[in-house]
Amino acid sequence: MGKKILIVDDSIYMRSLIRSALEEAGYEIIGEAKDGETAIDLAMETSPDLITLDNILPDMMGFEVLKVLTENGLKSKVIMISAVGQQTVVNKGKELGAADYIVKPFTSEALVDVVNKVLN
Amino acid sequence: MLDELNENELEIASRLVFDGLSMAKKSMEQILQIPIKMEKVDYSEKVSSPLAHYSGSEGESVHIIKTELMGELKGISHLIFKEDEVRKIYRACLPASIIESESPESKMMKMGFLTEVDNMMAAAVITEFSNFLGLEIYGMVPSLNVLKASEVNEFLEKESGDFQSVIHFKAIFHGEELDIAPDFIWLFQEEFVNKIKNLL
Repeated sequence: MGKKILIVDDSIYMRSLIRSALEEAGYEIIGEAKDGETAIDLAMETSPDLITLDNILPDMMGFEVLKVLTENGLKSKVIMISAVGQQTVVNKGKELGAADYIVKPFTSEALVDVVNKVLN
Repeated sequence: MLDELNENELEIASRLVFDGLSMAKKSMEQILQIPIKMEKVDYSEKVSSPLAHYSGSEGESVHIIKTELMGELKGISHLIFKEDEVRKIYRACLPASIIESESPESKMMKMGFLTEVDNMMAAAVITEFSNFLGLEIYGMVPSLNVLKASEVNEFLEKESGDFQSVIHFKAIFHGEELDIAPDFIWLFQEEFVNKIKNLL
Protein backbone atom coordinates (compact mmCIF):
# COMPACT_ATOMS: atom_id res chain seq x y z
CA MET A 1 0.00 0.00 0.00
CA GLY A 2 1.41 3.41 -1.00
CA LYS A 3 1.74 6.30 1.40
CA LYS A 4 -1.39 8.34 1.90
CA ILE A 5 -1.71 11.80 0.40
CA LEU A 6 -4.35 14.53 0.74
CA ILE A 7 -4.62 17.03 -2.13
CA VAL A 8 -5.76 20.59 -1.37
CA ASP A 9 -6.39 22.93 -4.30
CA ASP A 10 -9.38 25.05 -5.33
CA SER A 11 -8.99 24.00 -8.98
CA ILE A 12 -10.44 20.67 -10.03
CA TYR A 13 -7.99 20.73 -12.94
CA MET A 14 -4.98 20.98 -10.62
CA ARG A 15 -6.36 18.35 -8.23
CA SER A 16 -6.81 15.98 -11.14
CA LEU A 17 -3.30 16.68 -12.45
CA ILE A 18 -1.72 16.11 -9.04
CA ARG A 19 -3.81 12.99 -8.37
CA SER A 20 -2.89 11.43 -11.68
CA ALA A 21 0.87 12.10 -11.25
CA LEU A 22 0.95 10.77 -7.69
CA GLU A 23 -1.24 7.71 -8.31
CA GLU A 24 0.97 6.77 -11.24
CA ALA A 25 3.95 7.02 -8.89
CA GLY A 26 2.27 4.53 -6.53
CA TYR A 27 0.83 6.84 -3.88
CA GLU A 28 -2.66 6.51 -2.46
CA ILE A 29 -4.83 9.62 -2.62
CA ILE A 30 -7.05 9.54 0.43
CA GLY A 31 -8.95 12.72 -0.26
CA GLU A 32 -9.25 16.05 -2.03
CA ALA A 33 -10.26 19.41 -0.60
CA LYS A 34 -11.09 22.56 -2.52
CA ASP A 35 -11.00 24.96 0.42
CA GLY A 36 -9.18 25.47 3.70
CA GLU A 37 -11.95 24.42 6.05
CA THR A 38 -12.50 21.09 4.28
CA ALA A 39 -8.74 20.60 4.16
CA ILE A 40 -8.41 21.00 7.93
CA ASP A 41 -11.34 18.63 8.62
CA LEU A 42 -10.06 15.97 6.21
CA ALA A 43 -6.47 16.23 7.43
CA MET A 44 -7.44 15.87 11.09
CA GLU A 45 -9.77 12.99 10.27
CA THR A 46 -7.38 11.00 8.04
CA SER A 47 -3.85 11.95 9.25
CA PRO A 48 -2.27 11.57 5.81
CA ASP A 49 1.47 11.00 5.37
CA LEU A 50 1.61 14.06 3.16
CA ILE A 51 -0.56 17.01 2.14
CA THR A 52 -0.10 18.98 -1.08
CA LEU A 53 -1.40 22.40 -0.12
CA ASP A 54 -2.27 25.23 -2.51
CA ASN A 55 -1.49 28.58 -0.92
CA ILE A 56 -4.39 30.53 -2.41
CA LEU A 57 -7.73 29.02 -1.39
CA PRO A 58 -11.18 30.60 -1.59
CA ASP A 59 -11.72 30.86 2.17
CA MET A 60 -8.22 31.21 3.62
CA MET A 61 -4.54 31.15 2.77
CA GLY A 62 -2.70 27.83 2.70
CA PHE A 63 -0.38 29.34 5.34
CA GLU A 64 -3.34 29.57 7.73
CA VAL A 65 -4.30 25.94 7.06
CA LEU A 66 -0.71 24.90 7.77
CA LYS A 67 -0.69 26.89 11.01
CA VAL A 68 -3.94 25.31 12.25
CA LEU A 69 -2.70 21.80 11.43
CA THR A 70 0.59 22.39 13.24
CA GLU A 71 -1.17 23.87 16.28
CA ASN A 72 -3.38 20.78 16.38
CA GLY A 73 -0.31 18.57 16.45
CA LEU A 74 -0.78 16.94 13.04
CA LYS A 75 2.45 15.25 11.99
CA SER A 76 1.72 15.04 8.24
CA LYS A 77 4.41 16.43 5.93
CA VAL A 78 3.17 19.40 3.91
CA ILE A 79 4.31 20.48 0.45
CA MET A 80 2.98 23.89 -0.50
CA ILE A 81 2.10 24.39 -4.16
CA SER A 82 1.42 27.83 -5.52
CA ALA A 83 1.78 30.01 -8.58
CA VAL A 84 3.06 32.73 -6.26
CA GLY A 85 6.80 32.19 -6.07
CA GLN A 86 8.41 35.19 -4.44
CA GLN A 87 11.19 34.28 -2.05
CA THR A 88 9.56 35.87 1.00
CA VAL A 89 6.45 33.72 0.48
CA VAL A 90 8.47 30.54 -0.06
CA ASN A 91 10.45 31.29 3.10
CA LYS A 92 7.28 31.99 5.08
CA GLY A 93 5.89 28.59 4.07
CA LYS A 94 9.05 26.86 5.21
CA GLU A 95 9.15 28.83 8.46
CA LEU A 96 5.61 27.64 9.19
CA GLY A 97 6.75 24.04 8.78
CA ALA A 98 6.24 23.19 5.10
CA ALA A 99 8.70 20.52 4.00
CA ASP A 100 8.97 22.06 0.52
CA TYR A 101 7.39 24.65 -1.76
CA ILE A 102 6.63 24.01 -5.44
CA VAL A 103 5.99 26.92 -7.78
CA LYS A 104 3.48 26.43 -10.64
CA PRO A 105 3.76 25.62 -13.46
CA PHE A 106 5.52 22.35 -12.68
CA THR A 107 5.91 19.01 -14.43
CA SER A 108 4.54 15.73 -13.05
CA GLU A 109 8.13 14.46 -12.76
CA ALA A 110 9.16 17.46 -10.67
CA LEU A 111 6.17 16.98 -8.37
CA VAL A 112 6.87 13.26 -7.87
CA ASP A 113 10.57 13.97 -7.24
CA VAL A 114 9.72 16.40 -4.45
CA VAL A 115 7.12 14.07 -2.92
CA ASN A 116 9.59 11.14 -3.03
CA LYS A 117 12.26 13.28 -1.40
CA VAL A 118 9.95 14.52 1.36
CA LEU A 119 8.48 11.10 2.14
CA ASN A 120 11.79 9.27 2.12
CA MET B 1 0.07 59.03 -11.10
CA LEU B 2 2.50 58.00 -13.75
CA ASP B 3 2.70 61.51 -15.15
CA GLU B 4 4.01 62.50 -11.72
CA LEU B 5 6.98 60.19 -12.10
CA ASN B 6 10.25 61.73 -13.14
CA GLU B 7 12.30 60.28 -15.95
CA ASN B 8 14.23 57.83 -13.75
CA GLU B 9 11.10 56.65 -11.96
CA LEU B 10 9.26 56.23 -15.23
CA GLU B 11 12.11 54.15 -16.61
CA ILE B 12 11.98 51.90 -13.54
CA ALA B 13 8.20 51.54 -13.78
CA SER B 14 8.38 50.72 -17.50
CA ARG B 15 11.12 48.15 -16.96
CA LEU B 16 9.19 46.55 -14.11
CA VAL B 17 6.04 46.25 -16.22
CA PHE B 18 8.04 44.81 -19.10
CA ASP B 19 9.87 42.33 -16.83
CA GLY B 20 6.59 41.26 -15.23
CA LEU B 21 4.97 40.67 -18.59
CA SER B 22 8.07 38.79 -19.78
CA MET B 23 7.73 36.42 -16.82
CA ALA B 24 4.05 35.90 -17.69
CA LYS B 25 5.09 35.08 -21.25
CA LYS B 26 7.50 32.42 -19.93
CA SER B 27 4.76 30.92 -17.76
CA MET B 28 2.41 30.78 -20.71
CA GLU B 29 5.08 29.01 -22.78
CA GLN B 30 5.56 26.43 -20.04
CA ILE B 31 1.85 25.76 -19.62
CA LEU B 32 0.89 25.61 -23.28
CA GLN B 33 4.23 24.10 -24.39
CA ILE B 34 4.53 26.43 -27.39
CA PRO B 35 6.71 29.48 -28.09
CA ILE B 36 4.94 32.74 -27.28
CA LYS B 37 5.81 36.24 -28.52
CA MET B 38 4.90 39.30 -26.53
CA GLU B 39 3.42 41.79 -28.96
CA LYS B 40 2.10 45.28 -28.77
CA VAL B 41 2.63 46.35 -25.15
CA ASP B 42 0.37 49.36 -24.51
CA TYR B 43 1.47 51.26 -21.47
CA SER B 44 -0.41 54.26 -20.18
CA GLU B 45 1.90 57.04 -19.03
CA LYS B 46 -0.91 59.47 -18.25
CA VAL B 47 -3.58 58.97 -15.67
CA SER B 48 -6.15 60.49 -18.01
CA SER B 49 -5.42 58.21 -20.96
CA PRO B 50 -8.29 55.85 -21.84
CA LEU B 51 -8.05 52.11 -21.34
CA ALA B 52 -6.48 50.25 -24.23
CA HIS B 53 -9.36 49.36 -26.53
CA TYR B 54 -10.30 45.69 -26.92
CA SER B 55 -11.19 44.71 -30.46
CA GLY B 56 -13.03 41.53 -31.38
CA SER B 57 -15.79 40.43 -33.73
CA GLU B 58 -19.10 41.82 -32.46
CA GLY B 59 -21.07 38.62 -31.87
CA GLU B 60 -18.13 36.48 -30.80
CA SER B 61 -17.92 35.18 -27.23
CA VAL B 62 -14.84 35.93 -25.19
CA HIS B 63 -13.58 34.44 -21.94
CA ILE B 64 -12.27 36.97 -19.42
CA ILE B 65 -10.36 35.49 -16.53
CA LYS B 66 -9.88 37.96 -13.73
CA THR B 67 -7.47 37.87 -10.79
CA GLU B 68 -7.55 40.45 -8.02
CA LEU B 69 -4.48 41.22 -5.99
CA MET B 70 -4.45 41.25 -2.22
CA GLY B 71 -1.74 42.38 0.13
CA GLU B 72 0.36 45.52 -0.01
CA LEU B 73 -0.53 46.54 -3.59
CA LYS B 74 -4.00 46.59 -5.12
CA GLY B 75 -4.54 45.59 -8.72
CA ILE B 76 -6.56 43.45 -11.13
CA SER B 77 -5.46 41.43 -14.14
CA HIS B 78 -7.65 40.27 -17.02
CA LEU B 79 -6.63 37.56 -19.45
CA ILE B 80 -8.94 37.61 -22.48
CA PHE B 81 -9.34 34.72 -24.91
CA LYS B 82 -11.66 34.61 -27.90
CA GLU B 83 -13.98 31.59 -28.13
CA ASP B 84 -12.02 29.91 -30.95
CA GLU B 85 -8.75 30.44 -29.03
CA VAL B 86 -10.23 28.65 -26.04
CA ARG B 87 -11.13 25.70 -28.27
CA LYS B 88 -7.59 25.60 -29.71
CA ILE B 89 -6.05 25.64 -26.23
CA TYR B 90 -8.32 22.84 -25.04
CA ARG B 91 -7.42 20.76 -28.11
CA ALA B 92 -3.71 21.29 -27.47
CA CYS B 93 -3.70 20.78 -23.72
CA LEU B 94 -6.58 18.58 -22.57
CA PRO B 95 -7.47 14.95 -23.31
CA ALA B 96 -10.21 14.34 -25.91
CA SER B 97 -12.37 12.63 -23.28
CA ILE B 98 -12.67 15.93 -21.42
CA ILE B 99 -12.98 18.19 -24.48
CA GLU B 100 -15.79 16.16 -26.02
CA SER B 101 -17.73 15.55 -22.83
CA GLU B 102 -20.48 17.92 -21.70
CA SER B 103 -20.60 16.48 -18.18
CA PRO B 104 -20.49 19.00 -15.31
CA GLU B 105 -17.11 17.61 -14.25
CA SER B 106 -15.62 18.07 -17.74
CA LYS B 107 -16.97 21.60 -17.92
CA MET B 108 -15.34 22.34 -14.57
CA MET B 109 -12.07 20.80 -15.74
CA LYS B 110 -12.07 23.01 -18.83
CA MET B 111 -12.89 26.10 -16.81
CA GLY B 112 -10.32 25.06 -14.22
CA PHE B 113 -7.64 24.76 -16.87
CA LEU B 114 -8.30 28.27 -18.20
CA THR B 115 -8.29 29.79 -14.75
CA GLU B 116 -5.02 28.01 -13.96
CA VAL B 117 -3.43 29.51 -17.09
CA ASP B 118 -4.48 32.93 -15.83
CA ASN B 119 -3.45 32.13 -12.26
CA MET B 120 0.07 31.22 -13.33
CA MET B 121 0.47 34.19 -15.68
CA ALA B 122 -0.86 36.66 -13.12
CA ALA B 123 1.35 35.10 -10.44
CA ALA B 124 4.41 35.53 -12.65
CA VAL B 125 3.75 39.28 -12.82
CA ILE B 126 2.94 39.41 -9.10
CA THR B 127 6.15 37.58 -8.19
CA GLU B 128 8.23 39.99 -10.29
CA PHE B 129 6.55 43.05 -8.76
CA SER B 130 6.72 41.62 -5.27
CA ASN B 131 10.41 40.77 -5.46
CA PHE B 132 11.31 44.10 -7.05
CA LEU B 133 9.22 46.32 -4.78
CA GLY B 134 9.81 44.22 -1.63
CA LEU B 135 6.08 43.83 -1.01
CA GLU B 136 3.90 40.94 0.05
CA ILE B 137 1.32 40.53 -2.75
CA TYR B 138 -0.89 37.59 -3.66
CA GLY B 139 -3.37 36.88 -6.44
CA MET B 140 -6.80 35.75 -5.27
CA VAL B 141 -8.63 32.78 -6.79
CA PRO B 142 -9.31 33.70 -10.47
CA SER B 143 -12.85 34.05 -11.77
CA LEU B 144 -14.13 33.45 -15.30
CA ASN B 145 -16.66 35.63 -17.13
CA VAL B 146 -17.97 34.76 -20.59
CA LEU B 147 -19.15 37.85 -22.51
CA LYS B 148 -19.84 39.01 -26.05
CA ALA B 149 -16.81 40.77 -27.57
CA SER B 150 -18.93 43.90 -27.95
CA GLU B 151 -19.41 44.02 -24.14
CA VAL B 152 -15.73 43.75 -23.17
CA ASN B 153 -14.79 47.44 -23.30
CA GLU B 154 -17.78 48.37 -21.20
CA PHE B 155 -16.88 45.62 -18.71
CA LEU B 156 -13.29 46.89 -18.44
CA GLU B 157 -14.35 50.53 -18.13
CA LYS B 158 -16.69 49.59 -15.30
CA GLU B 159 -13.99 47.57 -13.55
CA SER B 160 -11.56 50.43 -13.94
CA GLY B 161 -14.08 52.84 -12.40
CA ASP B 162 -15.09 50.52 -9.55
CA PHE B 163 -11.48 49.91 -8.83
CA GLN B 164 -10.42 53.57 -9.17
CA SER B 165 -7.53 52.50 -11.31
CA VAL B 166 -4.93 54.98 -12.37
CA ILE B 167 -2.35 52.78 -14.05
CA HIS B 168 -3.06 50.26 -16.73
CA PHE B 169 -1.03 48.30 -19.21
CA LYS B 170 -1.85 45.72 -21.81
CA ALA B 171 0.08 43.14 -23.79
CA ILE B 172 -0.93 40.77 -26.55
CA PHE B 173 0.73 37.36 -26.36
CA HIS B 174 0.99 35.63 -29.69
CA GLY B 175 1.28 31.85 -29.89
CA GLU B 176 1.82 31.30 -33.59
CA GLU B 177 1.66 27.49 -33.48
CA LEU B 178 -1.80 27.63 -31.95
CA ASP B 179 -2.79 30.88 -33.66
CA ILE B 180 -3.89 32.56 -30.45
CA ALA B 181 -3.37 36.17 -29.34
CA PRO B 182 -4.96 36.77 -25.93
CA ASP B 183 -4.99 40.23 -24.35
CA PHE B 184 -3.53 40.60 -20.86
CA ILE B 185 -4.76 43.80 -19.19
CA TRP B 186 -3.70 45.08 -15.77
CA LEU B 187 -5.13 47.86 -13.64
CA PHE B 188 -3.37 49.32 -10.60
CA GLN B 189 -4.26 51.94 -8.03
CA GLU B 190 -1.95 54.86 -7.30
CA GLU B 191 -0.03 52.98 -4.57
CA PHE B 192 1.94 51.56 -7.48
CA VAL B 193 3.34 55.01 -8.22
CA ASN B 194 4.11 55.67 -4.56
CA LYS B 195 5.98 52.37 -4.26
CA ILE B 196 8.10 53.26 -7.30
CA LYS B 197 8.85 56.69 -5.82
CA ASN B 198 9.82 55.07 -2.50
CA LEU B 199 12.44 52.99 -4.26
CA LEU B 200 14.58 56.01 -5.09
